[in-house]
Amino acid sequence: MASKKVKVRMSAMAKREERWAWLFIAAPFVGFMLFMAYPIVFALIASTSKWTGINSLWGNIVGLRNYAKILADAKFWKAMGTTIIYMIGIPIGMILGMLIAMGLNRKIPGRRVLTTMYYVPVVSSLVAVSILWAWVFNYDYGLLNGIYKAITGLHGPNWLGDETMVKVSMIIFMVWKGLGGTVILYLAGLQNIPRDYYEAAMIDGANGWQKFRNITLPLLSPVTFYVLITSLIGGFQVFVEVQVMTPSGGPNYSSATVVFYLFEKAFTNGQLGYGSAVAVILAIIIFIITAINFWGQDKWVKTID
Amino acid sequence: MRKRFLGIAMASVMGLSTVAGCATTTVEEAGEATADTEVATEETADGEAATEETAEATEESDGNSATSLTGEGDKNLHVFLYMQEHEKKIYEQLVKEFVEEHKSEVGEVVFEITTQDEYNQKMIANMTANDMPDVFYVGPAAVRSYVDNGYIIPLDDYVDADTISKVWGTTQTIYRYDGTNVGEGSIYALPKDLSCFAFAYNKDLFDAAGLEYPDPNKPYTYDEFVEVCEKLTIDKDGDGEIDQWGVANADQFGMTPFLYSNGVKFLNDDMTKVNVANNEPLKEALTFYTDLTKNGLTPSVEQDTALGGYQRWLDGQVAFYACGTWDVAAFMDDATFPYEWDLCGWPVGPSGDGRSHTWMGSVGYCVSATSENPDLAAQLVAKLSTDEDGQRAVSGITTGESIQLPNIVDLAYGEFKDAVNNGTVPYASNVDVIFGYFDGNDNYEAALQETDYTYNGEWFTPFWSGVFNIKNGDITVEEYLQQVEPEMQAALDEAIELQNSATK
Repeated sequence: MASKKVKVRMSAMAKREERWAWLFIAAPFVGFMLFMAYPIVFALIASTSKWTGINSLWGNIVGLRNYAKILADAKFWKAMGTTIIYMIGIPIGMILGMLIAMGLNRKIPGRRVLTTMYYVPVVSSLVAVSILWAWVFNYDYGLLNGIYKAITGLHGPNWLGDETMVKVSMIIFMVWKGLGGTVILYLAGLQNIPRDYYEAAMIDGANGWQKFRNITLPLLSPVTFYVLITSLIGGFQVFVEVQVMTPSGGPNYSSATVVFYLFEKAFTNGQLGYGSAVAVILAIIIFIITAINFWGQDKWVKTID
Repeated sequence: MRKRFLGIAMASVMGLSTVAGCATTTVEEAGEATADTEVATEETADGEAATEETAEATEESDGNSATSLTGEGDKNLHVFLYMQEHEKKIYEQLVKEFVEEHKSEVGEVVFEITTQDEYNQKMIANMTANDMPDVFYVGPAAVRSYVDNGYIIPLDDYVDADTISKVWGTTQTIYRYDGTNVGEGSIYALPKDLSCFAFAYNKDLFDAAGLEYPDPNKPYTYDEFVEVCEKLTIDKDGDGEIDQWGVANADQFGMTPFLYSNGVKFLNDDMTKVNVANNEPLKEALTFYTDLTKNGLTPSVEQDTALGGYQRWLDGQVAFYACGTWDVAAFMDDATFPYEWDLCGWPVGPSGDGRSHTWMGSVGYCVSATSENPDLAAQLVAKLSTDEDGQRAVSGITTGESIQLPNIVDLAYGEFKDAVNNGTVPYASNVDVIFGYFDGNDNYEAALQETDYTYNGEWFTPFWSGVFNIKNGDITVEEYLQQVEPEMQAALDEAIELQNSATK
């Protein structure tokens, strides 16, 4: 005996609504498939090939050889090292951002103007401000060395032309560029902390440091977490400022980042397969670091509830 | 648990976005990348107006445009090139004439122009999608891989030999390929242009120093060059610091002419081995070249990072500087370069063939292997490359503005030189120096760069990008050459492998 099918009856209207629902879902889904999933799969396949853009991708599959080559490539590791060194800027930016946000959280005159000023670099074109800073850092004609010379009478450092100073320069630039965003986030975080926590602490006789240490810092930890994650991810993807300020990757390739290296390989030297493999490695690293962060967050990220 | 899942999900998306190319969104935000949307409007004449040739163009500020021209026939062509605004007008006119001349055959010609930056990306997309335009560019360096991959066809059957023989000998050779060697066999492209990297001097600085101008018919020797540079390197304002130098050099492009002129070759004949570690002419030439800086005849490495040689030349701070054919228009413009100047040859080293050498470049028009109308496409290529009126216009004979030198040899030595001499075309009067490099004579010779013959130029990057260490005195020439060779060889091996993989 055949089992009877249980039919769920839907009204005509419900059916129509369901069709609309599918349509609404389809829009982002199709978008995701076309602009995320397809390129990702394509890059994964390309990363196992000697694809140059001109030759056939499928005819030149070489397995994991690109990966082996990258891991043995001194230039890749140099770029990776530089990328990580640049991340020194992340804690600096976070500490500065938090301090400035705490200042702006007080009712001081002109704080809106100040907030805007700190935020201007964030909304400015990265290329434009990079060109600007390349001049600020200029060895002979730059603002920094001009000030240095006016004060000390000596010629300042070769900001972009020295292997160490170029890294310092990039970190200064990145901190400056990202500070406004961090300030705004911390400011929002600070304004979310209920006043009565501080009042209760005051009654208990807590001093300023104790209030900061035991109330502000823990309750800002979700913001800190967010800033940390996004900065780390952004830190691995630094490219534009390096490309603009040091188009050849700095003296002895000292300012080049991983994405700069990737770009150079893929688009200057026509090694699109190899470049894709670098992108995949970078994605894996970002994935691991972000995952570690999320797993570790229970230890230090506190929420109000 | 949920938080953990969210975490992993976020990590995945963030990580994968790198692979999907989202990492470069910052560039787009910054306005470097222009929208990929097609700005082409292809407007054809409607029914009754079909006899009239119509042109409809969309001009976009980002340098993209597509013009559609229609005739009465049924053969369609898609031309895809990169050009600057002022060139575009001239070439668009040529395409219009072409459609007029072939009215009965042409259905529609779409003349699409983009910027050089975007061109390569779009071509890769076209190749990947196997949707090639009928006419596009190929550089001498790409002929081999384009042919090996079946993208382009030989033009010999479509273009008559007389037309081909009109252009510079060099451009007749560099687009030939016989399946093994570039430079031999069938011709796959006709030149859009030919250019070279000549040398220039600032006449005003020579006058001020009371020196005789360089002889365009006899380039300096290395020694003579140093002697002249010493006299031109001075402290003009007397503040104790040198503020005028003999010469400034950009290592990436301006170093090789010094080296080539001493007989230097970086690769062996079949371009498979890097030869620098035990290369005597190179050692000699590189020592000469870096000594120019060590001895203070060029701005120092630090000074060079502050202000490049090009700016210093424009500012009248250096007496000699490289001058590509594409630089001439800027140097002739008083607002850009308010000095008198002229062309001369690069100095000649003792170990070369006694001639001044430099590198040259070219890009050519080719016809797609998938074109349905290869004959018509080839005719258009011939028109764009060798139409006399077109060449008169781009070289400035009729327009007074020289965008490039004429492709046609007779025109170059004839009408063009006349126009330079009588002032119709603003150009350096020693234009024979450039023609000498193009044609090769007793004093001059030019060749494509060796990087043009290899799949990419990556092997040369470690060489030029580290030369400043020698200038700084951090390493000797000898040590440098020993140290850099393995890295160059590794990159060359990689390029050869990619070259060999360039078959479908």
